[in-house]
Amino acid sequence: MEKLLNDDILAQIRDVFQKMQHPVELVLFVKQERCEYCAETRQLLEELSPLSDLLSLKVYDLQADADLAGKFGVSDAPAILVMAREGETLTDLGVRYMGIPSGHEFSTLIQAIMLVSARDSGLSPETRAYLKGLSSPLALQVFVTPT
Amino acid sequence: MLLAYQFAMENPALIRAEGIEAMEFSELSARHQISGVPDTVINDGAARVVGAVPESYLLNEVQQMLQGVK
Repeated sequence: MEKLLNDDILAQIRDVFQKMQHPVELVLFVKQERCEYCAETRQLLEELSPLSDLLSLKVYDLQADADLAGKFGVSDAPAILVMAREGETLTDLGVRYMGIPSGHEFSTLIQAIMLVSARDSGLSPETRAYLKGLSSPLALQVFVTPT
Repeated sequence: MLLAYQFAMENPALIRAEGIEAMEFSELSARHQISGVPDTVINDGAARVVGAVPESYLLNEVQQMLQGVK
């Protein structure tokens, strides 16, 4: 299959990934039926994940791996979870993307990987204190379009 | 979208941040009447923030929404 990422892009991403600090695992859920972009999303992540030793990829099927999907609260595909990895242990930091990350959203995915790799939100002390003190769930759904 | 991710990282047990490609998930977009992006839907529509906003703005919206719940 033709590559989605050309050599220039690969070199740029490798450069960015030099600054990764801790391991990150991309967990991708795909489904067999009615998924226009699952195959392409998978290919994209398969081209991306070898670009750093600190980045790994696991691909699961929404139906076949329904237990895992349920555990992570994933109900549709393609779904990309950007998780912190320490050895074999994964920590869900609540960072996910639904759909194919193309165009501007591809950059956002790279930034999300770097964010999780740093294990630091970079937010102000006030914001951190408020969020850590929450007593009820907070769901942020950010709708975007590829441009 | 990165800001939402930053929020989630501070308390992943309670916060989930999800980027959603609006065209691909058109039913969900239609349900939330998305007309421009980015559009941040908070707690399934309890509040929303249209456009890219600074950290303090999103925090304020979240605080106001959660106060309304109490």
